[in-house]
Amino acid sequence: MIFLYITNEFSVDSFHQKGKNIYRVMRGYDATKARVPYLSGPYGPALLNDYPKDIKKAVRVMPTQALITLGNNSFNEKNVYAVDPSFFELFSFGLIKGNVSSVLKDPHSIVLTETTAKKYFGSTDPVGKVIEMDKSLQLKVTGVVRDVPSNSHLNFTMVMPITNYTNEEWFTKWRNNNEFVYVELNEGVNPAQLEKQFPTFMDKYMGKDLAQMHAHFDLALTPLKDIYFEESSSFDNVKHGDKKVVYIFLSIAVLILVIACINFMNLATLRAVERSKEVGLRKVLGAMRNSLIGQFIGESVLLTLIACVFAIALLLLIMPWYNGLLGYSLAISWNSPAIYLFLLGVILFVGFLAGSYPAFFLSSFTPIQALKGKLQLGKGGAFFRQALVVVQFSISVFLIISTIMIKKQMSFVKSKDLGYSKEQTIVVPINNGDIYNNRISFKNELMAHSNVESVAMMSGEPGGYYDRHSFEVEGQHETYNARTEFADFEYVKTLGLKIVAGRDFSPKFATDTTGSVLINETAAQQLGFTPAQAVGKWIIDNMRDSNRRHIVGVVKDFNFLSLKENMDALVISPAEDSRVAVIKLKPGNVTAGLNIIKQAYTKAAPAYPMEYTFLDQKFDTTYKADLRQQTILSVFSGLAIFIACLGLFGLASFTAGKRTKEIGVRKVLGSSVQNILILLSGDMLKPVLVATVIAIPLGYYSADKWLQNFAYRTPMHWWVFGLAAIITFGIAIFTVSFQSLKAALANPVKSLRSE
Amino acid sequence: MVKEEKMIKITDLEKFYRTEEVETVALNKLSLEVKKGEFVAIMGPSGCGKSTLLNIIGMLDDPDGGSYVFNGTEIAHYSERKRADLRKHNIGFVFQSFNLIDELTVFENVELPLIYTGVAAADRAKRVEEVLDKMQIMHRRNHYPQQLSGGQQQRVAIARAVVNKPKLILADEPTGNLDSSNGNEVMELLTDLNEQGTTIVMVTHSEHDARYSHRIIRLLDGHTVMENIMI
Ligand SMILES: Nc1ncnc2c1ncn2[C@@H]1O[C@H](COP(=O)(O)OP(=O)(O)OP(=O)(O)O)[C@@H](O)[C@H]1O
Ligand SMILES: [Mg+2]
Repeated sequence: MIFLYITNEFSVDSFHQKGKNIYRVMRGYDATKARVPYLSGPYGPALLNDYPKDIKKAVRVMPTQALITLGNNSFNEKNVYAVDPSFFELFSFGLIKGNVSSVLKDPHSIVLTETTAKKYFGSTDPVGKVIEMDKSLQLKVTGVVRDVPSNSHLNFTMVMPITNYTNEEWFTKWRNNNEFVYVELNEGVNPAQLEKQFPTFMDKYMGKDLAQMHAHFDLALTPLKDIYFEESSSFDNVKHGDKKVVYIFLSIAVLILVIACINFMNLATLRAVERSKEVGLRKVLGAMRNSLIGQFIGESVLLTLIACVFAIALLLLIMPWYNGLLGYSLAISWNSPAIYLFLLGVILFVGFLAGSYPAFFLSSFTPIQALKGKLQLGKGGAFFRQALVVVQFSISVFLIISTIMIKKQMSFVKSKDLGYSKEQTIVVPINNGDIYNNRISFKNELMAHSNVESVAMMSGEPGGYYDRHSFEVEGQHETYNARTEFADFEYVKTLGLKIVAGRDFSPKFATDTTGSVLINETAAQQLGFTPAQAVGKWIIDNMRDSNRRHIVGVVKDFNFLSLKENMDALVISPAEDSRVAVIKLKPGNVTAGLNIIKQAYTKAAPAYPMEYTFLDQKFDTTYKADLRQQTILSVFSGLAIFIACLGLFGLASFTAGKRTKEIGVRKVLGSSVQNILILLSGDMLKPVLVATVIAIPLGYYSADKWLQNFAYRTPMHWWVFGLAAIITFGIAIFTVSFQSLKAALANPVKSLRSE
Repeated sequence: MVKEEKMIKITDLEKFYRTEEVETVALNKLSLEVKKGEFVAIMGPSGCGKSTLLNIIGMLDDPDGGSYVFNGTEIAHYSERKRADLRKHNIGFVFQSFNLIDELTVFENVELPLIYTGVAAADRAKRVEEVLDKMQIMHRRNHYPQQLSGGQQQRVAIARAVVNKPKLILADEPTGNLDSSNGNEVMELLTDLNEQGTTIVMVTHSEHDARYSHRIIRLLDGHTVMENIMI
């Protein structure tokens, strides 16, 4: 299962035939920050034009969303790509209908994925049918493409030619960022060599703009296969994977396998003792040591093979559940050789490993020893087995600690005071022309309702999108970088922010609309001001214009970014960049409030279905990956403990069995049942204790590492480790005591008779 | 005969073993008495119930019928815990196969009954050393059972049986695994103990060993067929 997940992660984008020559052009604006992939319209053609020897193709990909209408049905399509016509020539997405080089030639064409085609046209052939986009464009379906596989960083439901936009004014500006540019380099071109020429390129086209913005852009190329594992930033909404997560899963899988192998080894050795007569006899009859080793390993490999068959059956059974857990569907590619190689590898490796110890151990007996039937496993052997148990339980304790820590951190994040009020707050994206144009009446309509506390239009809700601009600030020599929020006057009120100095925006001041900003405490502090000092200073947003605006107030820091990121400086300016409407309802009936919003929305943008999220649910989406990790980790650590206990159980029954005589003697001599229980369980639990002692520092270390991901961390209390130890001990005691109790209660006469 | 002189009084004792199909009558209305200070040998063919009888006398097993009075107390219906308590203070065992614990040293093996009767550590060491000395096995005190000869192991087992100064010693074929010289040595030890006042009940197959005792009880199919009194 984990193997599937991992291959999926590592195989991302490997299906593109020209993959090794494809690069995504990245733009850097600040040496200390990750580059962003968004470029503007002119880059693609200019690159192709300036470097004809190096670049074979440049394809622009502009992710967008659109309202698609067919007859009476309208759908808001979130993953529409507007691309250059050679998109399907560059990427191997597998057209089912249509020709790769010509499907997107006509500006009024569109290609649908299989699922999308079904959604609109059912089983009828979609090719030649016309759909309407955003109430304005008539697009004819010219092709159908296979659904985008889960191992692709690009993810779309329909693809249309970008030529529909190339004449728009915003599209022709260099200063913009709305699309990716992928280039295919000619065979043998060194991307590093090409990158060296980019500064001249930037200078040529954007020199003036950049000077005016006091900014510096550079370009770089990312190989296609690396895009997926690139550090994802909130500026890049293609699918990203986290190498760390992949490695975590890989290690869990390996750890579980190790536990299972140890069990197998231990139990096989113990069973082997029972078979010692057989071995002795074989030896007396002339079997060579090697052939015995062969026999044991052979048996073990066979056993693993059978186990694998079961595992595959099980896998097929729980696949749907697993996919649900991952949040996307993994398909098992039975026709790829990788999986068979992997299975074969696992079978042989596990088989050999698990079979080796018993094999060598057993075959090393002299036949006399073995024939006597009573094998002394020896102190060394016992020590070895205990060491194995220690390893198993260290792993288990370690996994438990990790699980608890993740759980704890998640609930910490969940309950942390974020500095803004997120209850009863609904976020409606302003994502189409109608609602944008009517946003003011939409807002007024809502404000008129008694259920609505307040409404604010803004560029990014908390946890959403915050661009980074460079500023000039009074008394500062260097340009200053900060996040920006563009909002209206109800911003502070709607989010329930606190003003620590100065005042909120207010319509009472005529200059506020054009000449005021709010900053947060962090910004004030970075600028070297106390909140009170900051008030009244002027500030220029270089990326906007050269107007001096004045800081009218300082808001208390609130976590507008995810808790994984540190508190950043924020400049809040009144402006019309409205991307979301944030609506705070009065306490009470949320459903009624939601209905009011829906009605107002329908009035403002009748053609569009309203989308909305609750601000407090934003949490779940922001931390989806972590939450998922948490579930998966709990499942697997549970599994690990279960397997380890299975082994302990086997070992306990063996030990109890081996010690029946001893227990019998002790009872005859007057030992009580409790005494024997304590004796047996104590012996069995010693390795568990050692394991706990080993695992706790390891767990501490790795939990600490993981927490570094978060800017706000839950403290690591000792009770976490205590709890992990208690859980492990509890389960181990339960496992062991069953066998111990059985042994302790047995009639000593019987135990002694068996001698 | 004063009542108090009796250590064991068994009347109409019954013991059955039920396996899947057959019911074996191991002891069939058996009655016997053992006086304090006596040395009794129990003999009989294999499977006649000797070990079963000894186990019941030793309170390791409970009878299915009849009465067992030990030292004046009826214990046939005692709970396991009460029997265990009575046992550890009053009875020592010697087995044919020694039944020493392999993981413990000679010293620790002998010390074990003292631990279970709650003797303080300092006292224990003294008493263990005393009996080891008496059994002439002191020089092996730190060895493990596997490192000793059969005779030595049985001496350790006897040391363990007597370390608690029990009133009664039960020995089930104590010489069964020993050669004749080692066997004789063990019999001498038992005789010594008896002379110092310990009551001994011993199961044996050897007429020779039986001659060390005061009295031989012969069993056949679970009941007494004959008693010989040896003078
Ligand atoms: N646990 C048991 N389950 C079933 N039958 C038993 C059990 N223990 C003893 N027996 C049966 O009870 C009878 C008496 O057994 P016991 O061990 O007392 O004989 P024994 O006289 O000690 O023989 P030996 O001289 O061979 O040691 C035998 O027939 C035996 O098969
Ligand atoms: Mg017997």
